[in-house]
Order: sequence, then structure tokens, then C-alpha cells
Amino acid sequence: MNQIENSAPGVPPTPRMGRRLHPWPLRIMHWVNAVVMLVMITSGWGIYDDDVIIRGFHFSKFWRLGDWAAWSLNWHFAGMWFLVINGLIYLTYGFVTGRFREKLLPIRPAEVVQTVVDTLHFKIAHDDITVYNAVQKLLYIIVILAGIAQVITGLAIWKPVQFSGLVSLLGGFQTARVLHFVGMAVIVGFLVVHVALALLVPKTLWAMVAGGPRVSASSHAQDHHARQGHAA
Amino acid sequence: MKRTAPIRMLLASCFLASAVSSVRAQSTTPGGMPPPPGMSLAQSTAMRFAQPVRVGDLIGREVLRPVESQDVLGRVGRLVRDRDGQIMVVVDFGGFLGFGTRPIAVPVDAMVLLGQDMEIVAFTPEQLRQFPTFSPSGTTDVANDTIIKVGLAKPSH
Amino acid sequence: MRSPFRPDAVPDAAILDDHKPLMRSLSRRGLIRGSLSLGALVMLTGCDVKRPEAVQSALLAISRLNDGVQALLFDPNKLAPTYPASMILRPPKFNAYYDVMDVKPVNGATWRLEVSGLVADKRAWTLRDLRALPQTSMVIKHVCVEGWSYIGGWSGPTLRSFLERVGADLRAKYVAFKTADDYPSSIDMATALHPQTLLATQYGGDTLADPFGYPVRLRMATKLGYKNPKWITAIEVTNTYPGGYWEKKGFSWFAGL
Repeated sequence: MNQIENSAPGVPPTPRMGRRLHPWPLRIMHWVNAVVMLVMITSGWGIYDDDVIIRGFHFSKFWRLGDWAAWSLNWHFAGMWFLVINGLIYLTYGFVTGRFREKLLPIRPAEVVQTVVDTLHFKIAHDDITVYNAVQKLLYIIVILAGIAQVITGLAIWKPVQFSGLVSLLGGFQTARVLHFVGMAVIVGFLVVHVALALLVPKTLWAMVAGGPRVSASSHAQDHHARQGHAA
Repeated sequence: MKRTAPIRMLLASCFLASAVSSVRAQSTTPGGMPPPPGMSLAQSTAMRFAQPVRVGDLIGREVLRPVESQDVLGRVGRLVRDRDGQIMVVVDFGGFLGFGTRPIAVPVDAMVLLGQDMEIVAFTPEQLRQFPTFSPSGTTDVANDTIIKVGLAKPSH
Repeated sequence: MRSPFRPDAVPDAAILDDHKPLMRSLSRRGLIRGSLSLGALVMLTGCDVKRPEAVQSALLAISRLNDGVQALLFDPNKLAPTYPASMILRPPKFNAYYDVMDVKPVNGATWRLEVSGLVADKRAWTLRDLRALPQTSMVIKHVCVEGWSYIGGWSGPTLRSFLERVGADLRAKYVAFKTADDYPSSIDMATALHPQTLLATQYGGDTLADPFGYPVRLRMATKLGYKNPKWITAIEVTNTYPGGYWEKKGFSWFAGL
């Protein structure tokens, strides 16, 4: 990996030693989450079909995990453990290592607009994949929040008597069901965009497998210069 | 003998798991089946353990198709008695999200109660589309506080 | 033909004795047993995850672990929310493992409730006997595992008062039910003793109608709908796991709300 690649003119070159963009614990958590999310979504679709929320709309058998409702439920209540445990470790990791602060903040509205415009013009080339653009940051924060919301609404649906206070806060049992469905839709929407863009910029996919380029401890200087590079 | 008993228990557990996996059908009879050919609508209602319901509680209910996707066929507009004294449910039928519906009169014995909704079990959506648009002449409204009997069905899957 | 489930090497019987059948759960120990049985199953039977049967056994083992978690989450002092009588759905929503035409009404005059198991008084009960117990009413939300719900009103003696009257061993693990429609069901004793667990004989102030379980059904506020058998013909108090109709098909046994 060429040291010069990650620097704009006048900026000191990246030190060769340093953490990778995606350290191995993060990569493991990412792929565990990917599998578990697919289990939760497709088994959830099987559960949904047992009493559809949108009348007239159901998921065909092809898309459902579990032969029928009983098994969709079993998959769902098995997957939830992996989702929550992996998710808690990930959140802890993100906060304790400072990764969330470093990678996902700050978000400036003007940058979001500019990045969306660039993407629509297919200016999606990602010279420095160690720095997330504004849309990436926003989407990652949204999907993390959506995941947390799914756990909360899921608990409300699972235990509407034991957690009756939570159910009231959410607006009732049927409303909690609807919110759980909406949260799924947000996550699926994210997935479609996330997978499409990863395939369009394959080095990002490879980075999540092998770790990606090495970064220095502070990437703020690079962040600033990378944004300058993106503005074109 | 003592050695094989625990093994048999474990075998039973595995066989149980595989037996469970092979079960496909949820019920012997799906919900909302139409009356068999030759059976009158009144007879089919009687077989469906018709229960008393207040007419006013039916107004505005969604009318569903007895299938897994629970397609909305329309909404209950009002109930009337026709010239022969038969109770008909005037359903605001078809359209999209409540727009472009037209009223059709469906015999109450062709319908069932399903929780907070109703279903039409005796006619397919294609048949319902052929129903003439409801005309009130010759009919009398059924008062909201009237109690009538309507058949039941289990949810459809 | 050699069964694919038979292990290549027969494990020592002493180890197998420690890992009793998977068909057990309930109580705090269900939590530990459920998590052990997954590893035990893989180890002892040679089931591997490339086989669908092994995957389903694993899912069932986690389901039993969840039963243990649900038992921990169940607060015997927590009451389910109640609602005004004006919100009672009349008639309620019908469901069974067959459609309504196949309901077999029970003759209330000749009906007897058989009592067996860990109880002092095994005499059969009549409807009049049941009605003589102090009656409770509740308006609660019925929640079906399918996802739908409605508000209903039921009255009858509490199951607790019945169990006390027959001198049941209240430290036993299970209360099991048999019904006229071959729909066995069973619940944990903690839920059986909950104040919102009734032997319901009435709905909305009227006698239970035939499709809804006449003469008596179980009505709980803290479990999913399928755990509330209709047309009850026998009650047994036992420490042997009794299972249930839907549990045999893969649904959760504890099924708590």
C-alpha cells in the first residue's frame, strides 16, 4: 500500500504502522451481524405472514425463513440472542475505542447534500475509504439506531404484559407491531443501499474481509484533506 | 437394557425434531372455506355456529378475502332487508384505499365474522365484481340496535 | 438400515443419565438445561449442523432455554392491563386447529370435570360445583401468537381457588388440561396461581357459547391465546412435563406475555 496514496500534497505521509481501517474484532462482529440480521429479517417475514400488518401484502414462501410460523418464530427467538450479544459487544467496542466518535461524527448537513448529489452523478469513487462521507455516517447512525429500536419494539411485542409500561409508551401492542415492521423496513432499505454501494466500490467489501488500509491514530487531518478532494 | 434406555430417549428426541420439521399443515381445515356445492347459504351459516352481533357494531368493518394476505375487499356500509326480508350487507366494494368503491349487496349468510372484521366466504372477488351496484329501492334499513346472527370462521392461512 | 441418528460409539450410560430427555423445561433449571442440551446433543448423538434435523433440534433447544428465561421474566405479582367492559368484542374471535364447522358442542348437563394427579380430592366436578366457587371477572387483551389481538371479558372462578379446593400440591410444577377437542395443554404452576388465570364459564356476562369453549375454558391474561384450552374435560396436577398440542409442532411451551 503506497504511503503517498492517502495524502494530499503538503500533508505528511501516513505512518506505515497503525491499526487497519477495520480491525479484526470489528470484521467478525460485522459478518456475524450480517448473517444474524438476515436470519431476523427473513424469519420475521415468516412471522408477519401469520397475520399480515399491511392487508393485501404478504411475503412469498421463497423469502421466508422457517417452513411455517412455528419455525419462523424459533429462528427469530434463537437469532435474537446472537443479535443482542453481538450488538452489545459492538456498541461497547464502538464507544470504548472511540471509533464511533472518530468515524461517524461530525455530520454537516451541507456535506450530506453534496454527497447525495455526487452519488446521483455516479461520483462514487472513494479515494480514501478510511474516511466516511456524510451520507455514510448518517446511514450508519440510522441503522444502528434502527437496530436498537427493533430490540426495544421486539421486547414489547414479546412481553406485552411483563413490559406493559414499555408497550404503553410505544402506543399499544398493535402500534408496537407496526413500529417493529417499520424498523425492519428501514434496515432493509439500508441493506439494499449498503450492499449495492459495497459491490460498486469493491475495495470497501475487501476491506471488511481483510481489514483495509492502515490508518494513523488521528485521522482528523486526513478527514479535512479528503473532504477537499471530494468537493470536486 | 439399562444402557439402551437413555439412547432410546435421545433417539426419540431426534426423531421428534425431524417429525416436527416435516409438519407442514397448520390445520385440518383452512379458515373461510366456501359452502360445499348444493348447500344453501343459510345452511352454511348454521354450520358455522352463527353468533348474535349488534348491527351497529358491523358498520365500518373491513371486509376481507379469506386468504393469507387478507386482501381488503371493501368496508361494511350498512345493512338492509330486501323484498323477501333477507338481510343483505351493503359493502363499499373494490376501488383503491377506499377511493372508487361501489356499493354491492351481499347476503349476510355469504359472510362470516372474523374478530373485528368480516369475510366473504361464499363468493370470489371475481364473482363479486359481477354483482350489480346496490340500489336501495325495495329495501329497508336495519336499525343499528338490531341483533342478528352471523356465522364464524377461523383465520385463513 | 442403520439409523442416521445412532451414534457411532455408544457413550457411557452414566453420562447419558445426566442428560435426560430434551422434552423438559420450566423452572430456573430449564435455563441451564436448555443451554447444556445443545452441546450435549451435538456431542452425544453425532448430529452435525449440516443436517436439517440437527438445526431443528438446536432451535428447539434454544426454545427451551427461552422457556427458562420467560419463567425468570414472569412476575407473579404483575397484573395484565385491564379495560372497560364497553371495549369487549362481541362475539369474540374464533380460532382452533380446525374451522368452526368441526366444533363438537359439549352437553353441559352430563359434563364432568375429571381431576387427577397430585391432589387430595379426585372427585369429578359438575358445572354447578364450578359455579358455586367465588367468581371473578376480568376484561383483558387476548394476544394470539399469530399477531392479532382483541379485548374480551371472561368470568369464572380462579384456577387457584379450584386447585386449593381440590387440595392440589401447589409446589408441583405443572397443571395439565385435557379437552373435548383433543387439544391437550399445560401451564406452569406459577401462572396457574396468578390472579388473572380463570376457569372461565362466561364471556361478556353471558354463558360461554359453544364455539368459545362451553362449558368451561382456561383463560389467562399472561399467556398467548393457544395456551388457553376450550371445552376442558380434565385437570391434572403433575411434576411430569405434559406438553401440549402446539408444542408438539414446535411452538414455545411457556408462551408468556
